[in-house]
Amino acid sequence: MVDREGGAGRAEGCSKLMTDMKRSRLMVDGRPVEFSAGDSTLVAMLRAGIHPTGGGCLCLEGDCPHCLATVDGVSYVRTCQVAARPGMVIKRHPSDAPPPLPLDDCSGPDTIARHIYCDVVVIGLGESGRVAAAEAQRNGKHVITLDAGAGQEVIGVYPGPLVVARTREGMVHVYPREEIVVATGASEIHPVAPGNQLAGIVTARAATRLAVAGLYLGRVVAIGTPAEGITVEQAAGELVRFDGVERVEAVVMCNENGSERKIECDTVSIGLGLCPRDALLRMGNGLAVRAVGDAARTSDIPSCPKAGTVCHCAGVTMDDLESVRERGFHELELVKRATLAGTGTCQGSVCLPYIRSFLADRGESLQPPFTARPVTRQLTVGEVAASSYHQATPRTALDGEHRRLGAQMERAGGWWRPWSYGDTVGEYWAVRKGVSIGDVSTLGKMLVSGPDALELLERLYPTKVATLKPGRSRYVLLLDERGYVLDDGLICRDDKTRFTLTFTSGGSSFAELWVRDWAESWRLDVRLLNQTMSRGAINVTGPFAHELLARAGVGDPPQYLHHRTATVAGILCRVFRLSFTGEVSYELHHSVADSMTLWRRLLRLGADLGIKPHGVEALLMLRLEKGHIVVGQDTDFDSTPRRINHEWAVKLDKPDFVGRQAILRTNKVPLDRQLAGLEMEGPAPAEGALIWKGSDYVGFVTSSVFSPVMGKAVMLGWLKLFEGELPAEVTIVGRPARRVPTPFYDSEGSRARS
Amino acid sequence: MPDLKLLHGTRIVGTRAVLDAAVWPQNTLALRIAPDEVFVMPAISADFVNDQHAIVAPDAGFAGAWIVSDEALEFLQRSCEWELPRERPAFAQGAVAGLPVKLWLEADRVLFLVPAPYATDLEERMA
Repeated sequence: MVDREGGAGRAEGCSKLMTDMKRSRLMVDGRPVEFSAGDSTLVAMLRAGIHPTGGGCLCLEGDCPHCLATVDGVSYVRTCQVAARPGMVIKRHPSDAPPPLPLDDCSGPDTIARHIYCDVVVIGLGESGRVAAAEAQRNGKHVITLDAGAGQEVIGVYPGPLVVARTREGMVHVYPREEIVVATGASEIHPVAPGNQLAGIVTARAATRLAVAGLYLGRVVAIGTPAEGITVEQAAGELVRFDGVERVEAVVMCNENGSERKIECDTVSIGLGLCPRDALLRMGNGLAVRAVGDAARTSDIPSCPKAGTVCHCAGVTMDDLESVRERGFHELELVKRATLAGTGTCQGSVCLPYIRSFLADRGESLQPPFTARPVTRQLTVGEVAASSYHQATPRTALDGEHRRLGAQMERAGGWWRPWSYGDTVGEYWAVRKGVSIGDVSTLGKMLVSGPDALELLERLYPTKVATLKPGRSRYVLLLDERGYVLDDGLICRDDKTRFTLTFTSGGSSFAELWVRDWAESWRLDVRLLNQTMSRGAINVTGPFAHELLARAGVGDPPQYLHHRTATVAGILCRVFRLSFTGEVSYELHHSVADSMTLWRRLLRLGADLGIKPHGVEALLMLRLEKGHIVVGQDTDFDSTPRRINHEWAVKLDKPDFVGRQAILRTNKVPLDRQLAGLEMEGPAPAEGALIWKGSDYVGFVTSSVFSPVMGKAVMLGWLKLFEGELPAEVTIVGRPARRVPTPFYDSEGSRARS
Repeated sequence: MPDLKLLHGTRIVGTRAVLDAAVWPQNTLALRIAPDEVFVMPAISADFVNDQHAIVAPDAGFAGAWIVSDEALEFLQRSCEWELPRERPAFAQGAVAGLPVKLWLEADRVLFLVPAPYATDLEERMA
């Protein structure tokens, strides 16, 4: 195909003279190419004698894979569907490889998605689509129309139902309440015969369009239904092959007598019938999807070819089909999977009628078309990601303050938390020898109130909640029905019918669901409020914590494992006395609106005490010296209280609690492994380090630090029983280590209680 | 970029019947965020809740901002994968821009609320 200005003839029906057209330029493989107003990118290339993929039957309707190119950096663009614009940069895909990834520009264009709700969505605005849309509107429906001709390509129908389209303005997600109407018409059947990869072969409708656009087609031979509006030479008989080097030069036909006739030509127009564009209908199986017009028609089935490429996307030939059939693949869906025919760019638009024809010809019944799945078009990563968001990580009210203080922020327990303020050991010693504050706002916090609050917690927790007096707190494990540890935290009794529960930072969301689920299941009369995100918490810890609280106006702070309301440095707080660090500790729970004020006032009041904030890294060192576990780090999915050496936290003489029956049962099974304390000289091994007894693997380290106060490495780790007991001497990273009781530090707990 | 501020109010958890029957003071906005839970702005006293076991807690756990309707709806059309109520005023809640957002939609403006720990993310995603 060449620009008609350079040819000798004139196509009939062509009314636009190139000399009358305003010309602009785009670039194809670095070569300037002129185009005219109204040209598609494909037509502009064909005018310049360039076939985007080198050859193959062109349809000009977005069905075939033969006009793909990289346009302005986006690969796999159907150039027949894109209007030519001045300055466009087009690169043809390599003939023997996929287009290169745009490694030099990974950002890609920003793509937005809009979400639209309606009663009916009509896809395709040909005659039948317009009729369907008008009818729905007459019935008072809110109708959305999507038309590929207007640059709105529907790329998929999903359960929901949801129709996703790519438009010039971005992605559109349409949610129809009632119906999806597919009015996408029918595609023309392409030829399958040797030589069908040559340039110069077009469908009948494409031939007409090219002629109307003013392209010179030369001598046109029509196979099947001729193109409208142009002069053609009709080729009778059965198609045998296309002859030519790069471009078709002749077609060879076979008549009824079996004799071949060669017809020289410049262009071949193919009119072999129509196949409904019903991929969206087949995709919407089970949804309210209806096809109208040609999209609802029955597909023409071409005669079975003897040879040639059937699927250009996957390079499947008739020989390949024969081969897989001989190996037992007789079902259409299986042939698709065995050959990949129908899985490529055109999603079966070209090959589907021929595979059906092939199987029918080989004695199988005419099988229905294979299932269609999104997406029908190649999408950019930006288009796929449009409307998707990364999961956000919440920040405490002190997030800005931590960053201002130079903290290295990390995601820990599902939150942004200060890992260290730059001097982890200094932060550690501030806790051990002076006073420090830490942001523990991330801890789960839940209020439980109601006549059945005590009943709920008694059934839920393995501790005796009834013995907990108002104003007191207790460490608790949260178990599942199998007796495995889900989480840990505190139960704090506020009054007869009201409690505060705390959970770990990472476990609080699930713990809330757990508590609510059981409360609902047992139909208990309770009220539950999760305050994790509305209440801040600051941990004041260290030998001078009493002094700091006194300066903050709390001269009589609660005793160990007690709690009460107090005004601290002018801020109303619930003060919980406990200890995770091994030193005197007070958790100050308060409104998040007051976090910044309270934090700054405490730092100011403790300035001459050498107060420092501590980050998570220091906190993990401190807690490990005390042997406190971190659920999820030191526990596994099947950790029972016995396995983590926490049987003291489970009161089996209670009549019932979640997990009790499982614990009674598993306690009869000999212990196979246990979480144990370990220590060794020298630096701490990495968490996860393997533990050996001689040449036998006996476990792994779950937590490990070099203890500044003890001058050696301390660890928690899982140990298998070796010859009936936990090994006392083991090897870790090639060095000797000893099993020791926990806590490693202040085993009497006198410092925390002082 | 909207400037989300902490919203001071009262979080109330009570029985469904009590909350259904409650009459909130004039000039307050009561958002029923669950059958057993309501968030009232500005803060109110516990006297309005006829349930001795109700949890009535001062609360600043949401950050929010009023956005004019056109701007808000334009953002929601891009960022909200569920259908907004058509009536006004209306309360709605769900994922917006991947965050747990609550919306109070009036004729000419929309109040966006998000748990305060996600305020920065919502600001960035609305920018």
